[in-house]
Amino acid sequence: MKIKLLYLLLFCGTGMFAQEKLSLETLGAFKEQAGNWQLVGDVAMDRNIDIHQKPEAAEGKKRKRKKKKESATILAPMTFKEGTGILLNNFQEGKKDNLYTNLEHGDIYLEMEVMLPKGSNSGIYLQGMYELQLCDSWGVTNPKFSDIGGIYRNWESEPGKIFHGIAPLSNAAKAPGLWQELRIHFQAPRFAADGSKTSNAKFVSVFLNGQLIHSNVEVPLPTGGAISNREVAKGPLMIQGDHGAVAFRNIRYRSMTDSDVKVSSVSYKTYKGDFKGLEDLEGAKTASEGTVELIDINVVGEEDSYGAIFSGNLEIPVEDTYLFHIGYTGGAEFLLDGKSVAINNSSDAAGTLTAEAELTPGKHSFEIKNVKNAGWRAPRLGLAISTATTNPLEANAFNSFPPNINSVSPIYVEPGARPRLLRGFVSFKGSGKRLSHTIGVGTPKGINYVYDLGSANIIGLWRGNFVDATPMWHDRGNGSFNPRGAVQWTFLNQPIAQLENLTTSFPTTGERPDFISKGYRLDAKTGLPIFKHLYKGVEIENGIRPDSTNTYLINEINFSKAELTDHYCKLAEGKIEKLADGSYAIDDRQYYINLLSEQLPTIREVQGTSELLVPVNGSSIKYEIIW
Amino acid sequence: MKTILNSVIKTVVTITVLLALSHTNAQEGPTEEDYYRLTTIPVPEGILVEGGGVLTLPNGNIAVCTRRGDVWILENPTMAGGNGVNFKKYASGLHEPLGLAYKEGALYTAQRGELTKLMDTDGDGIADTYETIYAWPLSTHYHEYSFGPVLAPDGKFFVTANVAFGDEEWWRGESRVPFRAWTMKISEDGQMEPWATGMRSPAGYGLVDGELFYTDNQGDWIGSGAVWHLPKGAFTGHPAGLKWSGMEGSPISLTEERFYSKIDKRQTKVNGRFVKPENIQDEENPDFAYKIKETFPELQLPAVILPHGILGVSTSEIKVDATKGKFGPFSGQLLVGDMGQSKIMRVALEKIKGAYQGVAFDFRAGFQSGVMRMDFDHNGNLFIGETNRGWGSAGTTNSGLEYLSWTGKVPFEMKTVKAMPDGFEIEFTKEVDRASASDLDSYTGKSYIYKYHAAYGSPQTNIEDVVIKGVKVSEDGLKVRVVTDGLRQFYVHEIVLSGIKTKENGNGILHPTFYYTLNNIPDGDKLSLAELSTQRSSTAKKKVIKKKVVAASSPTPQKRVLTDSEVQPLLTANTCVACHHKDKRVIGPSFKNIAQRKYTDEEMVELIYNPQPKNWPEYATPMAPMPQVPKKEALQIAAWINSLR
Repeated sequence: MKIKLLYLLLFCGTGMFAQEKLSLETLGAFKEQAGNWQLVGDVAMDRNIDIHQKPEAAEGKKRKRKKKKESATILAPMTFKEGTGILLNNFQEGKKDNLYTNLEHGDIYLEMEVMLPKGSNSGIYLQGMYELQLCDSWGVTNPKFSDIGGIYRNWESEPGKIFHGIAPLSNAAKAPGLWQELRIHFQAPRFAADGSKTSNAKFVSVFLNGQLIHSNVEVPLPTGGAISNREVAKGPLMIQGDHGAVAFRNIRYRSMTDSDVKVSSVSYKTYKGDFKGLEDLEGAKTASEGTVELIDINVVGEEDSYGAIFSGNLEIPVEDTYLFHIGYTGGAEFLLDGKSVAINNSSDAAGTLTAEAELTPGKHSFEIKNVKNAGWRAPRLGLAISTATTNPLEANAFNSFPPNINSVSPIYVEPGARPRLLRGFVSFKGSGKRLSHTIGVGTPKGINYVYDLGSANIIGLWRGNFVDATPMWHDRGNGSFNPRGAVQWTFLNQPIAQLENLTTSFPTTGERPDFISKGYRLDAKTGLPIFKHLYKGVEIENGIRPDSTNTYLINEINFSKAELTDHYCKLAEGKIEKLADGSYAIDDRQYYINLLSEQLPTIREVQGTSELLVPVNGSSIKYEIIW
Repeated sequence: MKTILNSVIKTVVTITVLLALSHTNAQEGPTEEDYYRLTTIPVPEGILVEGGGVLTLPNGNIAVCTRRGDVWILENPTMAGGNGVNFKKYASGLHEPLGLAYKEGALYTAQRGELTKLMDTDGDGIADTYETIYAWPLSTHYHEYSFGPVLAPDGKFFVTANVAFGDEEWWRGESRVPFRAWTMKISEDGQMEPWATGMRSPAGYGLVDGELFYTDNQGDWIGSGAVWHLPKGAFTGHPAGLKWSGMEGSPISLTEERFYSKIDKRQTKVNGRFVKPENIQDEENPDFAYKIKETFPELQLPAVILPHGILGVSTSEIKVDATKGKFGPFSGQLLVGDMGQSKIMRVALEKIKGAYQGVAFDFRAGFQSGVMRMDFDHNGNLFIGETNRGWGSAGTTNSGLEYLSWTGKVPFEMKTVKAMPDGFEIEFTKEVDRASASDLDSYTGKSYIYKYHAAYGSPQTNIEDVVIKGVKVSEDGLKVRVVTDGLRQFYVHEIVLSGIKTKENGNGILHPTFYYTLNNIPDGDKLSLAELSTQRSSTAKKKVIKKKVVAASSPTPQKRVLTDSEVQPLLTANTCVACHHKDKRVIGPSFKNIAQRKYTDEEMVELIYNPQPKNWPEYATPMAPMPQVPKKEALQIAAWINSLR
């Protein structure tokens, strides 16, 4: 488990091995195309204008929605600025080629950010063969194979050749015009010497906007629109260009192959006794010895009070930096060419030793010493070898280091016909500050959010499943739950406050005596909470509800008192852009804020961050949070 | 099927507990069930009643709040008239609420981080307003549970707050934010008055004659579970909360600094790592709370100690029997629940020299899960909300809702015990057989005290026999004066009346042991020797025999491994059975499981004296050191455990 976890961390980006960047400074990484694919410096896509819609109709609709806006503004679905760094499919009739990379890959870790205008459709084909669908699926409740993140079907009719596609586990899509983050771990099909396929192509994991949407699913056949019907070990990435506009940035990848390291001549010696440390093995009487193909701690024949030394050779094919993970119980030491490179001299621990070494081609010797004197821990010993570009090679027998399965039944909480509320600690951004007075609200249509009663602030929003309460309700529990969706986090502050001047920060959180939480009441009709708090004697109510299409949230704030002075309400923080339709894109187009009430918003810089504020005089504040 | 299984399990547990706790031949005599009948409420599938609060409402319904955050209202909870119980979800989504109170149409509950008022304003029987009365900070440590509220006579609410534990010093209770480790008194309008500190894990509370009492669990600074009287400004012993004694409104002036200037914090580092303080065997001049109180008079001694491992391991709710006889002969006394041992103890208080003290007895065991909260309904049934999730308990289910009903039969019990200048006066529920009650051989006893230190729990310390000099049976046969020269102020006096029979049918006492915490010895006249019976039925004149000697006195050669039935009295006397069972995981591992570890007998004895909880990470409750177990008996127990391999 430990070893597996570590790999996950490693290979998901920020580990020891950096990913390679697919340069978007020039189009050199790609094959020639009709010119619809171009590099731009910035791109904006309007979330309201369908790419299939005529500009006049769009304008009419906009005028109805936002009568304040100048009717002369002609809104286009997409605008861009010259430059580089963003790959844009400026799709138009006659110029709609697919895009191929020069890179040919097999196993690959691939990540990128993608932006789609409303109604658009594209797709990324791993090896040019297996399409992960990209399209505007914002607000879709039950995603299909044809929604974003779906593995697309093919159009074969012959029995045995039909592939029906695979729907994503959930719809993690964001609104059109926002950057969406995609992380793919793909495993290429494997072939025997005679060319017959021995294992299917597999999406080991796919994360969309941080949410796992595929987990170890095989794709037995090429999907529709593949470059060929014949599956191969390597192929280029292909991005669909013939359906609609799409933009990408920050494309990173790591191409992987299977390891050619050979582990040979593994021999072992076992020992019996209450060893307190690895040094106790010196001079100890050998209980048994022999050879094995792979490291196998079961050769000791004991549950506890044992020692073992495995030694053998590594045949290293090429010079590279090799990474070793040794999972163990008790204590362990790892030696390379007779030199100790990692050790935990214990007899009752459990963990993973990690060692990194530059190795030249040829034979190298290794040795693993292990003792265990801890009856409550099962015997475990495993060795995995990897490099930046090779998959981990497991040099242990399955039973020597079997996967550590989490056997706890998860406790999921879902709303029924009425909204479901649940208080619990919530960690901001999943692993950040843990808040103590937070409440999750799940609505029957799957629009969910977390509200911090300690600051009267909406701190996170997501669509889909509500929460996993296992951390709180299994065993003693730690008092917290986890949202079960791609959460759009906002910011941590008490958002309504009286500020001395426009350089004063908002309070981090609510504090007595100025701020007093008063809890909430449930609306009789909808069952949704209306939160209440007191700030400097003013009663403030937050009513948060899904919009009429059940896609995003509307926050309405009401005050018991008028003519408040120097009061402000913070709506958002991060990089803030005012958009053509009058709404705001937040934090480099992670989500939108659209003010519905009459206040005039201000963008200010405070302590290195941009904030979107509105002045508070006691009249209602109403705004949409769209993600 | 479930019912059958449950009842089988329950029977097993009952037998185990009786074996463990009764010194008479339990199988042949009457059992607890004959007097107090336990009924399990069938809970609809899919609902988990992990009882965090139980409360009878004015209309006879029972409200139950659960660790899952729901509040259920049960209509017809005793299933009268052949109808079932109706469960209605009154509220949900609360943060592990651990108590309920009712006031003027609203329910109040303590969530982890606030006192909340739940109101049904539209009359559909479902709460629609969740008003925060007062919110307190939390560091978000898992152990920061909050308990309550208790509705005080003045209409305000008491709430108690658990400590967190250290990160590296995971054994040290700490108060990271105000007012963890405190009891708070909160008014309806959201004003909070810091009331008392010294709490570690104050799961139990209750009002007795309008005064607040609470229970705490054994742990660091808490030698044994006990019941404390909690007047304003009390400091009950755990020092974590002293961190905030300087805050506005604090009724306590004692600071951490002053406290630790007198008492060793036991915070040491070896090789850069903190070392967990352990009990020091044969410690010279250990600290006792009563001695520390001479320096810090605000230190509040427990009114009644519930000896750890015997009368529970994790005390919970305090409930006064205010049923005026509907619940049997113990009206006015306190019932105290225990989670780990899934049972209820009985406590009778008296006030001597201005301070509370009193006696504790076993009362009723065999609940299906850990006893957490209880309340009497209007008919004198005691409803019990149960949970053991995360801690384990003698009762084997993870949650439960049961009620206990008096069958109308009066058990032969000690009704109460009062301290006297020269001993104790025991009052019985039934007339005693004069011959057995006059016989000094019917009484054995010892006294002991618990240490006050940073280590987890304390062994019974300074153990001495209580030598009974004489007894005097009252004219009506309902009282016995027990006279001894061996009273020790501040000590627990544990006296077993194993030989006493009822006049009615010769049965022994259902729970023949009392545990009296003698904080003060009353003044007054002592009985003259002439008034006392000093006769002994045993022919040989010898020293009063201790029960453990009785247990070991079976003619057992040193080397032979004891049989199960031979070892049972040893396991009982040394309280092993409080947490261990031969085959079954209870609070600790089964004896068979321990045998698998292949310790030598000597190693096992060392582990009895100095347990290593880290060896058993999957068990939630660490074992307390048991240095009071005589070496010879420890060796016999170890040999028997090893014979189970």
